[in-house]
Amino acid sequence: MQTLMTTENILPVGELITSDEQVPPQMIVNHVAEKFFGTTELDAVAVVDGKEPVGLVTRTKLLFTLFRRFGFELYGKDPVIAIADTAPLLVAETERLDVVIDRALERPPQDIYDEVIVTCPKGLYRGLLSVKQLVIQQGNALASSVLQRELAGERARELEKINEMKSQFLAHITHELRSPVNVIIGLAELMRLAIEKGAVDQVKDRLSQVITSATNLRAIVTNVLDLSKIEAKKMQVAVKPFDLAAVVSDVIENARVLVRNKPITINPAGTAGPVHVASDPVRVRQILMNLAANAAKFTESGSIFFALSVGAHSVSVSVIDTGIGIKEEHLDRLFTAFSQIEDVKTKRYEGTGLGLVIARSMAQLLGGELTVASAFGKGSTFTLTLPYKEPLKEENHAEAQKDHAH
Amino acid sequence: MPKRKKIMLIDDDEQQLAITRELLEYEGYDVLTHRLGFGASSAVRANQPDLVLLDINMPALSGEKLSEIIRANVHTKHVPIVFFSSNDEVSLASSVTKYAVRGYICKGNIADLRRKVAAYLQEPHTA
Repeated sequence: MQTLMTTENILPVGELITSDEQVPPQMIVNHVAEKFFGTTELDAVAVVDGKEPVGLVTRTKLLFTLFRRFGFELYGKDPVIAIADTAPLLVAETERLDVVIDRALERPPQDIYDEVIVTCPKGLYRGLLSVKQLVIQQGNALASSVLQRELAGERARELEKINEMKSQFLAHITHELRSPVNVIIGLAELMRLAIEKGAVDQVKDRLSQVITSATNLRAIVTNVLDLSKIEAKKMQVAVKPFDLAAVVSDVIENARVLVRNKPITINPAGTAGPVHVASDPVRVRQILMNLAANAAKFTESGSIFFALSVGAHSVSVSVIDTGIGIKEEHLDRLFTAFSQIEDVKTKRYEGTGLGLVIARSMAQLLGGELTVASAFGKGSTFTLTLPYKEPLKEENHAEAQKDHAH
Repeated sequence: MPKRKKIMLIDDDEQQLAITRELLEYEGYDVLTHRLGFGASSAVRANQPDLVLLDINMPALSGEKLSEIIRANVHTKHVPIVFFSSNDEVSLASSVTKYAVRGYICKGNIADLRRKVAAYLQEPHTA
């Protein structure tokens, strides 16, 4: 039989009959068995009474019956109709192939591959249809359509996940932006009321609160804009030579302010510097500040080290803390927006959760990478790696002079 | 002089609690505050306020879940609950329907806050 194309699915099964083997109902089982033993390609025979199909005997089921204990003794001398399947699937020769296959496959698992008996419109035996053969030949068509279905299903699930993330993202941004705005509005109204009463001192106090809230808001807006720029591929970097060690020192100073009264020691480690690199000092500082802020936020006690190391082709800064760490299963999501907060309605830690996303994108824009290693309960190490070329000695000296002049 | 109405504020933001409290005290209400969801339903039961302003976005126990707890308790289910949140109006409106609370007020609009609080306090209580 030629390989079927999917368009041939609608062929009438009459044209696809594989054999017209038949035995009369009274033929002895042993003789039917001999028929099977003698013809290796024979898979099934129809039991036909006159011209009417009354049953089906398949090789597998026959042998199964006979090779059971005492099978031959029990059934060998019986007329074959006694052990035949007397309710086989009968289809008219005009029936479409795809319909027939569907019906065949709907049968109980042990019967799925049984041959299908094809009859003429009057119900007389015409021949057998091998479901096995058809399925194998249809195999490719079936498999690819199953695969396509699965792929389509997966795509749909992916899209839904992305959609869900976008909704959550928007919900987060909305809330993160609105909260400080609402605080500012409330404070402003209170100041107005205070002025009406002439309570100037209250106004002074409120004003500094307003400034703090507005500053927070500014930071969040900056984050959201940065992220939008990154998404729109419009974030720019300005590469120039600078001393990476100096930037690290500056970030360390800031980190000390961030941890405030917590019992955490913050120190540099590794290469003492100066380390002259060519990159964007503003962006590098932003990235390191984000790492420092995270370390400060998620560490209650212990230490935070800023380890600077210089390799042949790259330079790296690792921020190593003894904080709460990150669970293995959460590591993937770390660099996706807002994954820090599972659900805006039950946020655990303050912050937009945008920092790492932006930091990593910036690192990549600079030709480097941002990676993380962590042990839950023990701490985390975030490493910024940047491309590095050993500059000439004179350049070093000239840049060092320039840096000090600033 | 008629008894002052008692309003309870539940929010995770200390600053927001202080500001809203002061704004409402200017209006002549007695205001109690409770930070976070935990212990809030006990506080409602103990104080029996005339109105509860409930923030939705709170760590661990959301305002929506808390509203279910308050409404389920026989000692507090008569207390009118109003969602007081930064979420957008459409989402708030559907939360109100879903959790069958009295209504919502968007944070950041003081005129609205005053008007709606007055209106919700006027409404007859339905258990």
